[in-house]
Amino acid sequence: MDNVENRLAGCFRLVFPDLPENQIVSASQATVPQWDSIAAITLVNVLEEEFQTTIDFDQLADLDSFPRIKEYLEKPAA
Amino acid sequence: MKLTEALATLQAAPKEGPEFSVALACGFTPVHLLTFLGAHLQRNLPDRRVSVTAGLYGDIAGTLSSLPSGSRRAVAVMIEWPDLDPRLGYRELGAWGPRRVSEILTDSRRMLDRLADALEQISISSAVCLPTLPLPPLFHASGWQASEGELTLLRSVSEFAERIARNSAIRVVNMARLDEASPRAARFDLKSDLASGLPYTLAHTDAVGSHLAHLIAPPSPKKGIITDLDDTLWRGLVGEAGPDGVSWDLSSHHQSHGLYQKLLASLAEEGVLVGIASKNDPAVAAQALRRDDLLLRPQHVFPVEVHWNPKSGSVRRILEAWNIAADSVVFVDDSPMELAEVSAAHPGIECIRFPTADDREGYQMLRRLRDLFGKPRLAEEDSFRLESIRRGAEFRENAKETGDQEGFLSTAEAEITIDFAAGGDPRVLELVNKTNQFNLNGKRLTEADWSKFLDAPDAFVAAISYRDRFGPLGKIAVIEGRHDSERIHVRHWVMSCRAFARRIEYASLQALFDRFGAEQIIFDFAKTPRNQPLQEFFTSLLGRAPEPSLILTRRGFAEDCPTLYHQVKGRSEIETPLYG
Repeated sequence: MDNVENRLAGCFRLVFPDLPENQIVSASQATVPQWDSIAAITLVNVLEEEFQTTIDFDQLADLDSFPRIKEYLEKPAA
Repeated sequence: MKLTEALATLQAAPKEGPEFSVALACGFTPVHLLTFLGAHLQRNLPDRRVSVTAGLYGDIAGTLSSLPSGSRRAVAVMIEWPDLDPRLGYRELGAWGPRRVSEILTDSRRMLDRLADALEQISISSAVCLPTLPLPPLFHASGWQASEGELTLLRSVSEFAERIARNSAIRVVNMARLDEASPRAARFDLKSDLASGLPYTLAHTDAVGSHLAHLIAPPSPKKGIITDLDDTLWRGLVGEAGPDGVSWDLSSHHQSHGLYQKLLASLAEEGVLVGIASKNDPAVAAQALRRDDLLLRPQHVFPVEVHWNPKSGSVRRILEAWNIAADSVVFVDDSPMELAEVSAAHPGIECIRFPTADDREGYQMLRRLRDLFGKPRLAEEDSFRLESIRRGAEFRENAKETGDQEGFLSTAEAEITIDFAAGGDPRVLELVNKTNQFNLNGKRLTEADWSKFLDAPDAFVAAISYRDRFGPLGKIAVIEGRHDSERIHVRHWVMSCRAFARRIEYASLQALFDRFGAEQIIFDFAKTPRNQPLQEFFTSLLGRAPEPSLILTRRGFAEDCPTLYHQVKGRSEIETPLYG
């Protein structure tokens, strides 16, 4: 796991403590029942703290899986 | 606390052990407030499994009214402006404007009355936070002017707070302290309010959660303070400057010492024990302590240890006289070396350096002392605690002098009052939570735990007060449990160390057997590092070391109980003599 992936996995462990370890990197809103609107907000705020960034609420709908969030975080700032 | 830290705290919480269940009543989506409140409670109650659940969003009064009795340990109530009238928020588009203001004020007043009624009706301890956000720009005046309508609204909230704060089960967040922890301009997050329904920034959510948690599970207040004299109680070295050469007022530029004296005197009147430990010539120090302008009066202080020996020894003797442990005490001295010496000899004692040359630090120290000794409410006993310790010392001295304990006890004119209707008295729970040595099992309880125990139909609480010819000791023991016609099950039993050596513990058990006509008492005993006096009592009564769930029979007790000389009165609704 690279550094971003490691830190992102840590965020997922905090927000979804019951998610099995081997399912974290493939987790998505469709496969994690606990990933509701409240969990989505919590996840965004945890990501903001961990990665010292600001994520627009408008992005919430797009950030619906581990891979997509990782891609978003690795994208260079415009 | 960061959100990640709060989530980690909750995940690390014990999975086993007694649950501490809190209901959160608030009108907005409490997404992070649940997390922060839970995490702060978990920090304050590390041995409990804290759970926080939210009621209906948007209807605080409805949430309060629908709470089943006894189902929760406590309730946290977070009120924001839209809870009083939706037009005071940003998620609804009801009209603003001068014609609406009077209607908004009337509706808000009505809602506050409804909330107060609901809070007063639930029998659960409650922590209430008043609105924390800026009001929306609906009043006619510019932002820098307080309009009449806004002031009327603030007055309504203030009157509401004053009304509910009179109820012993309700505690209100100190908004001035919240202002310090969370600057007003950094609280509101409109984007979050509109997108998710949470109107708070994360930092403000954390501050609110922390303050509510402190009201629900506050730290135990300290019981005693031991102070140095030179450059602490007063400015200057009394041995060099003489009794009239030390100072503590504005004209001498040493006001912070006067303020410290004023706080100590105030703490003493609230029942905090104040002792003195100083390296000085005792005769000279005594002269200074008798000065008429000293704000801390001689009757506020006991004992006074003034000599040239190490202060750790002085502190040890003061703790013995008070009969309390070091971790219940604060030691204040201007010398880091003395603080280190006392700290090393008495682990757990809270050592505070008096900031002699810095008034700003002095101000912070006064606030810290207030926090360490703060009590939600004062009881009558608080006002004569120090006096009763003095009398206790006199009692022990007399008993020692006569050498005839039976003769001494038989002439002590001891009178015990056992009050079976005192469960709601705050002093009773306070005694349970702050007594260490004569304590059945060391279990600490929140107000909510206590209320839940007392809700049981077969529950009883006996609060025991004592007086003798040396004066009253006030309420000094509590027994809590359940009973049927055969057995009494005692879950909590504490007795203040001030009341030792008077056979009050025997008289209390005798009174229980008599009142309930039971043949057995079962005790939820647990050995703790501090309850040696209670263990010794049981060992002497049973002839063996006590064990968990120990049983005492009426017959066994009658055989081993020494002669009791007390006159015992029982109080349930009317006062009647039990025996004596």
